[in-house]
Formats: sequence, C-alpha cells, structure tokens
Amino acid sequence: MCKTVFFAAFLCGAALNSVMAHEQHRMECTETAIHAMHADIQAMEGGEAKTTAMKEIDMAEDMMAKKDMEACMTHMHKAMEAIEK
Amino acid sequence: MSDLPASRRHWLFATVAAVALLCAIGAAALYGGLFNVAADVPHSNALYWLLETARERSIAVRATGIVVPDDLADPRRIASGAGQYAEMCSHCHLAPGMKRTEISRGLYPRAPELRRGSDLTPAEAFWVVKHGIKMTGMPAWGLTHDDEILWDVVAFLRKLPDLTPEQYRSLVESAPKTHGESMEGGQMDHMDH
Repeated sequence: MCKTVFFAAFLCGAALNSVMAHEQHRMECTETAIHAMHADIQAMEGGEAKTTAMKEIDMAEDMMAKKDMEACMTHMHKAMEAIEK
Repeated sequence: MSDLPASRRHWLFATVAAVALLCAIGAAALYGGLFNVAADVPHSNALYWLLETARERSIAVRATGIVVPDDLADPRRIASGAGQYAEMCSHCHLAPGMKRTEISRGLYPRAPELRRGSDLTPAEAFWVVKHGIKMTGMPAWGLTHDDEILWDVVAFLRKLPDLTPEQYRSLVESAPKTHGESMEGGQMDHMDH
C-alpha cells in the first residue's frame, strides 16, 4: 500500500515537474521562443490582438538585444496574452 | 543579330546579361542552402503573406464548382463529423477545452485553431480536407476516406466555433462510428492485397 502511494506521488511529482519545465522553457527569453511566438502571430487573423502581439514581440526582441531579460519576459507574456485572446 | 542597330544590340545584351545574373544568383542561393527550411524559424512576413495568398487563391479557384450537400445541418452528419474530427484533426487543430498539443506547437505554418472559426466556405473546407495542403502537414484525407465522411467533417466544422467544451465532448461521444471502426474495412482491404 505504502509503495503504491509513494509511486503515485512520484509519478504526480514527475508529471508536475515536466509541465512546469515545459512552460518555463516556452517562456524563456530566447531566439527560439521568440521565433515560436512569431509563428503563432503569423497564424492569427488580423485585428487588434494581432497588432498588440506583434508590437509586444518586437519590444521583447529589442529588450533581448539590450540583454534586459526581465523586460523581455514581460513583453513576451503580454504577447502571449494577446495570442491567446 | 548583326542586322540590328547598335542601340538595340546593347539593350538585348543587357537584358540577357541581367537574366543570366539573376539565374546565377538564384542558383547560388538554391545550392548554397541559403533558404532555411527549419520549422522553428518562421518565414519573413512578406514571404508568409506571399505563400498564404498563393494558398488561399489556389483553394478558392479549385473549390469552385464543388456542389455542397444541402444536409450539412443534419445532426447525424455533425455528430459523425465530430467523431472523425476528434480522431483525425484535433491533435493539430485542437478543440474546445483542449490545450495546445506538442504537434500543434511544432507545426509550421501553424495549423489553424478551428474552434476560433475559419474564413473557408464549406466547398473550400471540403477541398482542403480532401486534397490536403503541400508543405503544411495537412494530409489529403480523400486518399483514405470517402466524400460522405469528409462532408460530415465539414458539417461539424461549421458548428465547431459555437461549441462549449461540454457540448464538444458530448457530440464526440454521440458519434455513430469511431474513426477506427469506419476504417476497418479499408485496413482489411489493404491487408488482403
């Protein structure tokens, strides 16, 4: 019984870690993540959300070029919000 | 050639030289691997627009003349289409209540999220489902499915943007046949030959 509970807890923890790592990887301020967002934005229908997303991702790129990773992340989050609208 | 006036000869020579130069640049770009085919590096916006416009026009022209069945609102068609969609399409195009999948995030160009609606007419949607789209990951389902099943999918697509996650789940559960069952005959045929 104990073994089963520990095994279940281990599986849950592993799954949770994997999800968190995945999300963090997605939102890192890297060229790959910015490319992925560009691809998402290209697929959006034209409109306010797309304009906002484009503006935010351009700003994120600017911030990445200036090595301001915190600001880059902030703009990436805003771009993601616009993409998911 | 020698009968041509000098000004015309110069013009002709310049044109031929320009074409040759363009060909040489094109060949150098092509064989030099200048174009990056990686799916994690998006096209420039200009190239994306060009390809998207080519795709949209190609679909619109080829879908002309397709006769749309008048029973696309039939609940049986919609339910059948829901079952097909859940098995064939939802991994890439997603569905109400579904988070983005690894496939949907890795495809380039991105598969449209059809729960958000589509600009395609029913005839265009049918054409796309049947013939697929080159270099997008969209397969030609017409090679393995008959037209009636594909029209069921189109019937469902018209309904999809209005569905809540619960309604979607319930429709899929009410599908008269699963994709696996409807393909069983085809698979058996394939094994017989």
